[in-house]
Amino acid sequence: MAGSDADHFRDQARRDLLTLLEGARGKKNLVISQELAGPVGLFVKFSVLQEYGVDRVFLLENANVDSSQRNVIFLVRGEKAHQVRTVAEQIKRLQNNGNADHEFSIFLAPRRSLVSNAVLEQVGIIGDVNIAELPLYFMPLEQDILSLELDDAFSDLYLHKDPGCIFLAAKALMGIQQRHGYFPRIVGKGDNARRLADLLLRMRKELDAEESSGLADLSARGLLPSANTENLIIIDRDVDFGTALLTQLTYEGLIDEYVGIQNNQADVDTSIVGPAPAPQSQESSKTPQQAKQGLKRKIQLDASDQLFSQLRDANFAIVGDILNKVARRLETEYESRHTAKTTGELREFVNRLPTYQLEHQSLRVHTNLAEEIMRLTRSETFRKILEVQQNNAAGADPTYQHETIEELIARDVPLKTVLRLLCLESCMSGGLRPRDLENFKRQIAQAYGHQHLLTFWALEKMELLQPRSSATAMLLPSAGGQAGTKTNYGFLRKNLRLVIEEVSEKDPDDISYVYSGFAPLSVRLVQCVLQKPYILSLIKGGTPASSVNTASTASPGWLGFEDLVKSARGPTFSLVQKGDDKAVRARQTLSGNNATKTVYVLFLGGITFTEIAALRFIAAQEAPRRKIVICTTGIVSGDRMMDAAIEQGSFAKSE
Amino acid sequence: MAPSNPLANWQKIGDSFYRKVPLYDAIFDEDVELENYIVAGAPYGGAIALYRDETKPYRLQDAQASRSSIDIYTCSGKQINRINWEQATIRGLGWSDKEELLVVAEDGTVRRYFGLDGEFTSFSLGNGAEEYGVRACQFWASGLVALLSNNQLIAVSKYDEPRPRLLAPCPEGEVSSWSLIPPAHTLSRSVEVLLAVDKTIFLIDSNDAEDKILQDGPFKHVSVSPTGRFVAIFTGEGKLWVVSNDFQNKFSEYDSKSRVPPNTVNWCGDDAVILAWEDEMHLVGPNGVASRYYYDGRFHLIPEFDGVRLMTNDTCEFLHKVAGVTEEIFRFGSSSPASVLLDSVEQLEKKSPKADENIQRIRSSLPTAVDTCIKAAGHEFDAYWQKRLLKAASFGKSVLELYNSDEFVEMAEKLRVLTAARDYHIGLPLSYEQYLRLTPEGLVERLINRHEYLLAIRVSEYLQIPADRIYVHWASQKVKVSTVDDEAVCKLIVQRLEGKPGISFEIIAQAAYDEGRSHLATQLLNHEPRAGKQVPLLLNMEEAELALDKAIESGDNDLVNYVLLHLKSKLPLASFFRMINTRPVASALVETAARGEDTELLKDLFYQDDRPIEGANVLLTEALRETELQRKTEKLHLASRLLSDSKDATVVLHQKLVSEASQLLKVQEALDRDLEDRTEFVGLSLNETVYRLIRAGYGKRAHKMQGEFKIPERTYWWLRLRALVAKRDWGELEELAKTKKSPIGWEPFYNEILGAGNTKLASVFVPKCTNLPVAERIEMWVKCGMIVKAGEEAQKAKDLNTLELLRTRASGPAITEIERMINQMRPRK
Repeated sequence: MAGSDADHFRDQARRDLLTLLEGARGKKNLVISQELAGPVGLFVKFSVLQEYGVDRVFLLENANVDSSQRNVIFLVRGEKAHQVRTVAEQIKRLQNNGNADHEFSIFLAPRRSLVSNAVLEQVGIIGDVNIAELPLYFMPLEQDILSLELDDAFSDLYLHKDPGCIFLAAKALMGIQQRHGYFPRIVGKGDNARRLADLLLRMRKELDAEESSGLADLSARGLLPSANTENLIIIDRDVDFGTALLTQLTYEGLIDEYVGIQNNQADVDTSIVGPAPAPQSQESSKTPQQAKQGLKRKIQLDASDQLFSQLRDANFAIVGDILNKVARRLETEYESRHTAKTTGELREFVNRLPTYQLEHQSLRVHTNLAEEIMRLTRSETFRKILEVQQNNAAGADPTYQHETIEELIARDVPLKTVLRLLCLESCMSGGLRPRDLENFKRQIAQAYGHQHLLTFWALEKMELLQPRSSATAMLLPSAGGQAGTKTNYGFLRKNLRLVIEEVSEKDPDDISYVYSGFAPLSVRLVQCVLQKPYILSLIKGGTPASSVNTASTASPGWLGFEDLVKSARGPTFSLVQKGDDKAVRARQTLSGNNATKTVYVLFLGGITFTEIAALRFIAAQEAPRRKIVICTTGIVSGDRMMDAAIEQGSFAKSE
Repeated sequence: MAPSNPLANWQKIGDSFYRKVPLYDAIFDEDVELENYIVAGAPYGGAIALYRDETKPYRLQDAQASRSSIDIYTCSGKQINRINWEQATIRGLGWSDKEELLVVAEDGTVRRYFGLDGEFTSFSLGNGAEEYGVRACQFWASGLVALLSNNQLIAVSKYDEPRPRLLAPCPEGEVSSWSLIPPAHTLSRSVEVLLAVDKTIFLIDSNDAEDKILQDGPFKHVSVSPTGRFVAIFTGEGKLWVVSNDFQNKFSEYDSKSRVPPNTVNWCGDDAVILAWEDEMHLVGPNGVASRYYYDGRFHLIPEFDGVRLMTNDTCEFLHKVAGVTEEIFRFGSSSPASVLLDSVEQLEKKSPKADENIQRIRSSLPTAVDTCIKAAGHEFDAYWQKRLLKAASFGKSVLELYNSDEFVEMAEKLRVLTAARDYHIGLPLSYEQYLRLTPEGLVERLINRHEYLLAIRVSEYLQIPADRIYVHWASQKVKVSTVDDEAVCKLIVQRLEGKPGISFEIIAQAAYDEGRSHLATQLLNHEPRAGKQVPLLLNMEEAELALDKAIESGDNDLVNYVLLHLKSKLPLASFFRMINTRPVASALVETAARGEDTELLKDLFYQDDRPIEGANVLLTEALRETELQRKTEKLHLASRLLSDSKDATVVLHQKLVSEASQLLKVQEALDRDLEDRTEFVGLSLNETVYRLIRAGYGKRAHKMQGEFKIPERTYWWLRLRALVAKRDWGELEELAKTKKSPIGWEPFYNEILGAGNTKLASVFVPKCTNLPVAERIEMWVKCGMIVKAGEEAQKAKDLNTLELLRTRASGPAITEIERMINQMRPRK
């Protein structure tokens, strides 16, 4: 199959958007909603938009689009009624006040919804605008990461219980299936995962029903299970809230924790990384120092930065080492110009100069960034927070940590941080003692404002922070019984060896390196499907050999671990999608069986950078037999999870 | 059957030939007086609409009969439908590419009849069409332009979602003729219009009107060629000009020598122009060469992109330019290889050796000869010559060693389909080129419209294209016309369609519902595999509950929301709640939507569901949104009252905290009033309030608040410490140091004060940290810069190594001090 999924989806998205833009002739202003502005940047550059006649870009939320162009194009999410309503209002405004005659287009991503139709009809402008669909589903963050980039997926799923993103994920996965053929097997864990799998089966049935009777048609290929896909693994975020609440300890994870990464970009203070490099290095001396306070600089964080690729998934403890090494290598390489004797050698050096400068720049950025993070991680509060987390993760009695948490509250550390610790305890040990919970509620209301009564309510609704119902319920591994409603970390910690104290951060042999000794449960579950021998050897004790005997992977799905994974929340399933047997066999003989097979791992509700690092670690072990493509509804972190719950309003009279 | 002469009806015009192919005869009844009708024909050999021209005088007896209807015929004269027309006078009659009939009335109403069944949608042109009235209309493949009597032009570029748009305002003056340029052929990619006003012509697009500055007007006719490259204009002096589309070059001029301007000026392909009077026609080729045709009665022209159809009562003919390949073969005295190849077939049949001689002669160019024969077969309308040419091709390729027969096979296939479609029963006289443009799917669509299901299915199967639409259309039709009971119809349809892929039962059900057979519709819907597809219809059928279930089943949020929106407006609130109550997804979506827009609905919902905490939370949210303090407290009181009944521990706590919130607001309000400090206390958290009070030096008030709100001692100490440090109130801190015990220990004091840079004061707390290990205390001293003190600590602990280390870090007099200690510790020598 030509081209990776990432390239395919990137090209397709770009093509779709540009075709739509071409449909509106001449110059135009583009109004784009905040949550789409970033994702669009993932597949098309502004300069390209300009080539297609886009004069200026406005953010929908700023409501400042003007009449400078006749053509005005809105690009918003069709599923979000309030965004469409905002569009309608702005169109109304332009229609009423402008003397200019406007031509309006609305591009709805990923689809035109009935609700948006209803909204436009209600406002009475549906007849005056061009409406088109922009089928944006999966957007590539990296070659191995496809994301729906739905910022609200987490709160929609767990707070509002709105399954919209499951449907979109199903649509997106259908896109993959139509490209490669059906996933031969769908393995999954969690309520929403199950719902997604059911949707996939249903959509397949519907597609079959729609399949044209034409025989030579290309789409007939879709009838078969894919030959180069092994399976799809769906993990519901609520199976493992605990992991996401821990502070991420990989480089990329820490950047996300402290700076925030949106659509592969981080806005870093210029006082940390210095101002953006001037386009010409010679002119830079002339420009006066403009590094004003509070100025942000966008740093692109993706595989285009070689150095970052080396750093991103490493534990932060060794990032300094790597930076040093790279700095020394650059130094010697640069010094090599003195030893260049022949003109040929000199020319070679000069040819390498641009890449060298690029590397140097990136080195400077990352050194500064790493130093800043280092400063933060050395602080006393960070140490205390980490200690509480590690104790919780290791299964120590959480009540011993309460004093520390109370101190943190009194010291007014950010609310998110405190809540993360409480939620972590609640998740890891099946809830807080009611008395403790009451106590914390009171203290937090007093410390951060009484509006956070709403925050607590939201957290409870998301089942992130709950009173412990009965002390004994959690101690029993829910063996045999129906699917648990809570993940039993106590049991799984022991039986899946989540805690590995002696993991080396420098030369890791287990995924637990990403949290310096705690293996993300979510990824352990993936290992239960993909790396059975390894997990078995872990369970039996004995130091696991890093290069696992990879020969026996015959047992598919959860086979062998059914009882264990029952202790994690939600239903466990493994479905086989059968095709026409004859056709399958025919193709097997044709294509042979030794090619690299792709495994799609979908995190419903979001994935953290640490989990991505852990999955990449597995992928590296499984290469070249397997390729892992990570799919997700978006990137989450503990802070983002808290943001979904935290009430933003306050009792102040007005802002 | 005697073979027709392939050269029959050829006419040489300039360098090329034109031919008139008779398609059908005996088309219309004698009593249809064509001269009194407006005729519009759909492209690609499509249907013909006839409407009695109201400007023509009526004969007395049939005045009523033919007045108010539009008749639709096939090209072979079979009547398909009659549409009654009782609206305003028709000003435009035209067809779209998809064989939809468009009727534009004088008042600007546009009706789009689709499917030839008389079903229509309608919309209004607006933009002043009602006041001024539509004068004329012109159509292109997917849109139309209407000319109002005030010279305004209104364009509609698509019919699914029609958006009538005014073109640029036109200059005043008498419009003598006009023509549109379809969007596909303009630079702006939207429709443009050529408007002959007074002596000149204007090019009008959506932005402005450009005067082409001509002097020879008024122009009686303007016509744009099918490719949009040329424009034919007919001057007042009876001359025809062909000019380039930018009016820069004049290619030819032809003098018709007629003082009466022709009824129509039309292009025939891209090379020739037809001037048509009542019964006379001039075909004008390049360089003004012309040929004339005469008819017995009035004839009508129906333009195609590759020629014109000519309709009279008796005949339907197709006039077009003879294709190059055909000319190459049949032209008199042609000795082209293809022509020779055709000849050899004849020789072969006569068993003459000349057949072989022929082949040998053209051996080198045999492949092209075969190709030419295949192509020419496509352009032939007569089955005899089609066969002849294919036979020649077949003979030719049998001689060739290597020849890809795909084209031959495809052509044979196409010709079979074309022959079937051209049959007078069907009446679709497609030319080969037209068929290519229409596509097989398009042809099937037209067959469906004519209810020719059997042929449509045959064609689909023959060409392997999806047939689902045919079945669905058939079933819908069945539902409409059948009179047997619902069960039987449903059974019949399901039986017939069983195992056929892609059948949309939803469309059939919709048809049943439209016929008023809702029971049948429900039955049919059960066979629809796509849950989502059933929803809109179920809603229409008032099967709200079922619609909601199906929507949820489909997993598509949008559908669920849509149904909910619908239900909310239809049902009384109580039954609406009852309906969503048992469906968690639905109630979640209602809650989410209401949270943003309709909090009253939420309150009702939570009240009915008996969820006091959530009800109180809505009030809490409202309290946050209020800007008046008074209103905030009111809301909080309401919330608190809502919670006061319950004994549940969580609720009790919730209630307590809500009241605490309003209590806090009250206190804060008082603070704002009493203190002259600029700080606004209202809205701060309790801790923050206390912190700021201390920092501003109102320690007493802070202390009072601690008691009032029962702030834990430890928290209070922390607040005090942080506030005092922020205030740099070292005196107060020193006072504190004299206290015996601190609930948070003394280390925080040391840390915070050191962090603020006061090493001296920080050092005061070091000795108080008695619970810390010695090593740490030593480090604390060092951080304060008091090496000696650190040394003393080490000395007490008898830690020689540390002392040694300290010595390296010491400076000035401290060195001697440390050394003294070391010496003391060292065992006496």
